[in-house]
Amino acid sequence: MTDDSVQLSVQDITLIFGGLHALTDISFEVKQGEILSIIGPNGAGKTSLLNCLNNFYHPDRGRILFNGHNLTRMPPYKIAKLGIARTFQHTALYTGLSTLDNLMAARHIHMRSGLLQCLLYWGPAHQEDIANRKVVEEVIDFLEIEHIRKSIVGTLPHGLRKRVELGRALAMEPQMLLLDEPMTGMNQEEKEDMARFILDIHERQGTTVLLIEHDMGLVMDIADRIVVLDFGSKIAEGTPEEIHQNEAVINAYLGKTGI
Amino acid sequence: MKDYLDTLPKNLIAGFQKYGETKTAMRQKDRGIWRSYTWKRSYIEVRQLCLGLIELGLMHGDKVCIIGDNDPQYFWAQLAVQSAGGVAVGIFTDSTPPEIQYIVRHSDAVFVFAKDQEQCDKLLEIQEEVPNVKQVIYWDEKGLWNYEEPWLMSYQQVQALGQSLDERQPDLFDETINLGHGDDQAIFCYTSGTTGLPKGAMINHNNLIAGCDQTLQVDPRLDNDEYLSFLPPAWITENVLGLTVHLRTGMVVSFPEAPDTVQQNIREITPQAMLFSARLWENMMAMVQVKITETTWLNRMLYKTFMPIGYQVAAQRYEHRKPVGWLWRLLYGLGELVLFHPLRDKFGLTHVKSAYSSGAALNPDVIRFFRAIGVNIKQLYGSTEAQVHTLHVGDDVKFETVGVPAPGQEIMIADNSEILISGATVFQGYYKNPEDTEKALEVDQQGKRWFHTGDAGYIDKDGHLIYLDRVKEMITLSTGEKYSPQYIEGQLKFSPYVQDVMTLGGEDKPFVTALINIDFENVGRWAEKKAIPYTTFVDLSQRREVYDLIRQDVQRVNQTLPSPARVHKFVLLHKAFDADEGELTRTRKLRRSLLYERYEDMIRTMYEGGDSVQVRASVKYRDGREGTVETAVQVATLEMEESE
Repeated sequence: MTDDSVQLSVQDITLIFGGLHALTDISFEVKQGEILSIIGPNGAGKTSLLNCLNNFYHPDRGRILFNGHNLTRMPPYKIAKLGIARTFQHTALYTGLSTLDNLMAARHIHMRSGLLQCLLYWGPAHQEDIANRKVVEEVIDFLEIEHIRKSIVGTLPHGLRKRVELGRALAMEPQMLLLDEPMTGMNQEEKEDMARFILDIHERQGTTVLLIEHDMGLVMDIADRIVVLDFGSKIAEGTPEEIHQNEAVINAYLGKTGI
Repeated sequence: MKDYLDTLPKNLIAGFQKYGETKTAMRQKDRGIWRSYTWKRSYIEVRQLCLGLIELGLMHGDKVCIIGDNDPQYFWAQLAVQSAGGVAVGIFTDSTPPEIQYIVRHSDAVFVFAKDQEQCDKLLEIQEEVPNVKQVIYWDEKGLWNYEEPWLMSYQQVQALGQSLDERQPDLFDETINLGHGDDQAIFCYTSGTTGLPKGAMINHNNLIAGCDQTLQVDPRLDNDEYLSFLPPAWITENVLGLTVHLRTGMVVSFPEAPDTVQQNIREITPQAMLFSARLWENMMAMVQVKITETTWLNRMLYKTFMPIGYQVAAQRYEHRKPVGWLWRLLYGLGELVLFHPLRDKFGLTHVKSAYSSGAALNPDVIRFFRAIGVNIKQLYGSTEAQVHTLHVGDDVKFETVGVPAPGQEIMIADNSEILISGATVFQGYYKNPEDTEKALEVDQQGKRWFHTGDAGYIDKDGHLIYLDRVKEMITLSTGEKYSPQYIEGQLKFSPYVQDVMTLGGEDKPFVTALINIDFENVGRWAEKKAIPYTTFVDLSQRREVYDLIRQDVQRVNQTLPSPARVHKFVLLHKAFDADEGELTRTRKLRRSLLYERYEDMIRTMYEGGDSVQVRASVKYRDGREGTVETAVQVATLEMEESE
């Protein structure tokens, strides 16, 4: 490690599906407490990259270090325990449970009580439940979803489900948040709310955010740095201004006229 | 008895001395748990905040704006300002920066309480334009952590200043409060003003306390009654029926967790007193009717079985004023168990003693529905300038009226039908606006102060006030008499058999007439039940029986009106008003001038005294073809007895 502030280091990741190179020699670093956005046209490999970070996909070459731990051979639940939480492009919540229960489920990784204690719901198990509920209530307050606390998630509109999913990730009290297109299918107002939440999380808790997003205006506004992928390769990296002026990016992604 | 408690802060102290730590004053749901604040807590919050404001330079008579949701902190801020002899100026939370700027500047505010980031951002936007504001104080720090504007200050920071002042001058708080007087201005309420700029109605402590005590005379509150504060606190109603009643009676005020959770919170709190707009009551009824079609067959069956019983018993009790027989009472009791109570529970209406509706006239169907499930909704009519004018008292509820004058209120109808109010609640004038004040406030020879409401109405034989419309919407007939198209049309449309109505009158017409559209579906069903044969709309609309049916409705409305303002003649149109033909707008409002031209023959016949008129109306079918219908449309004349 060269720099103490580097939290996540992606080193020469290559992912191959049969003959298709989904990712080719991707390397970049994420610093503690920054908002890094990964952009790129459809099929550029953004979600594949995120899936490698969680180890849903196993990269064929290269390695990923998170605070010095090698994630490449670690099962997803252990990665979650290390403090990486994520949301999905297509929400993956327990649709039959309430918002509250979905958020409580995320606290699982922090629970210590054994089966017997939980069954008796007494002593430490009870205390623990209260402590976890407190964290969850903080998240509910933070994301302003008090009104749907007891609503079944399956009955909620898309925009709110996205917010619940973000809530579930936050309830894990992560060090790093991976957000896979948190604003797809939202109207302008919902997008603005979501952007405000992301900035607030970042400001308040200093959480590192890795964001995949299509809305360029939004990315330019909130990201500290941007990594651009095209056909599985990294074609650029830099601050929003640099990316804005980068010829390769303009040609590949933003179109010849720019944005 | 309580005469020495002539300001709100003095009432707070009395409450603190009476209840101290033993009783909950306010309650708010936070992080999913209802948290209680005792009277002592309320008192300490206000004391520290008040002294903090004094430390920052607040003087007696200074104005302070408050913009925020219903929170204990809102009321504490208001009481702190008033304790220091200041005036609290509420601003609605959805106001835009230019609107806020206007009120802050016009009211000469020296401080602004702004709840959260959203409101603070608006103020930062207009900071340059409001140089008199020394400090903006927020009470929800979310999102404001990294703001480094010295102009912004947290509630706690102000309270810390107050605490240290308190240590140096422990008597200051009591001294300041004792300087307060009932004649001091308590709040300014800026009325939204449909035309022109908002006007700041000045309301003093005497006004608020009088308004509260008047209402309590007819609708007493106990100190263990529950109340949920969800009406905008910048509005006079929340100030009187919420805060002032709380301070005068000890009633517990709960605050919703978030603006979106009001419905859930009402259900948890089950308040004794509730005030909804007419629109909200209507929505609640509609919600039941929709949900019941989607529920299980058992629930549907219970609804179908017991609702008619509820209606029957309610009609017996409230409309016929007769004792209800034991069999009906037994059935109703059963219904209470399986249907009425569960329905009331859904809306948090299980403990409600006083349910009020304000705003527009409430459809009698809605009143009947809620009476059937055991909630007797009453109308309340008031204004920012004179608070509650009239209300229904006890079981004396008449659908078409807005009730009788509240105790202590005097009502007079001016020559132009304008409603004038006099009483201890009449406001002190508009701030820095002598011109409008002069128009709205009149002092008569006995020194009584009359507020000109700008509303037209009159008092019926039972002493109830009937509200018609704004005075400027009234139409004058050639006889010089006035009538209200909006009232007649609105009341007639409450009939299930009437689809649309257009009243006619004006300076060239001696009396009021109406073109009426029957509701084809409902009248058709009624005709089938009565075994009256008909073929088409044209045929049905011209049946003598249908004329008699509608005549009853017209008579019902006429009975509530003075003779010159009644409908003298009407015709039932042979066809429905149609948006496709341009007779209605797409939102189903009447295109009056077009209708006037199109039905000119009929209108002329009504005024010339004819019995019927032969019509050929061109009709545009939906597939684009045009055709004509020909028929004789009858003119119905109503007998006019002398006005009572």
